[in-house]
Amino acid sequence: MREINLTEWVNEYTDDMYSWAYFKVSDSEIAKDLVQDTFLAAAEKISSFKGKSSPKTWLFSILNFKIIDHYREKVKKPYNTDSDSLSTYFDENGEWRQDKRPQDLHDNDGDLMNDEDFQMILKKCLELLPEKWNTCVKLKYLLGKSGADICNQMDISKNNYWQIIHRAKLSLRECIESKWNRD
Amino acid sequence: MKKIMLSCEKATELIEKKIHFKLSLKEKVQLAMHLALCKPCSNYKKQSYLIEKTVPNIEFKEIAKEDLKPLKEEIIKKL
Repeated sequence: MREINLTEWVNEYTDDMYSWAYFKVSDSEIAKDLVQDTFLAAAEKISSFKGKSSPKTWLFSILNFKIIDHYREKVKKPYNTDSDSLSTYFDENGEWRQDKRPQDLHDNDGDLMNDEDFQMILKKCLELLPEKWNTCVKLKYLLGKSGADICNQMDISKNNYWQIIHRAKLSLRECIESKWNRD
Repeated sequence: MKKIMLSCEKATELIEKKIHFKLSLKEKVQLAMHLALCKPCSNYKKQSYLIEKTVPNIEFKEIAKEDLKPLKEEIIKKL
């Protein structure tokens, strides 16, 4: 087996690993930390690298663990699921408040999903979500995880998970509707 | 009637639950009944599904051209 030269790997793979991490966490400092942590972890368990997979595959599998860990940390932070946020949208009987009722976006041809302006608005609205909701939404869509997978990995109950998604959606759709109708 | 009918809060929660997990038969019937009668919740459902379909189309990649040389040097130093 060719002698392993970690320094070489750093020079060769850092750019790709950084791009990937940045794509997943949308934060340059965090992405750099994740790449660095990955190499430090790799150095520690270099003996477990058997050369069966390419160095790149091996490093990326460590990096992916680091990314999941990063999100897990974020979700663990205390989160309040009492009805406070829901009462913004619903009255005490659980009916929509007058000014919060969703309107028809008139997407009769189903074209909005491909509309660049609409995508831009959705992206902006996603960024405005509170961090915990944002994390769940990103895990679902960026890492392509199923709801059940996310629950397992994040140690949250199914109930808690779709309550988070429910609140995120309520806030997202309101944001989108107000921006879309204004433009 | 009030007892059988879901509230809008519960109905929208079930709409989300349905996307990610399975609904029980009772929940399915309750939700269908509610949606048939409630315009705002029907609109909510349309918007929610639209969001689901649109998110994968969004381009999140906006990587600023970063000079990674300092990072590489730092990592090599720590190794």
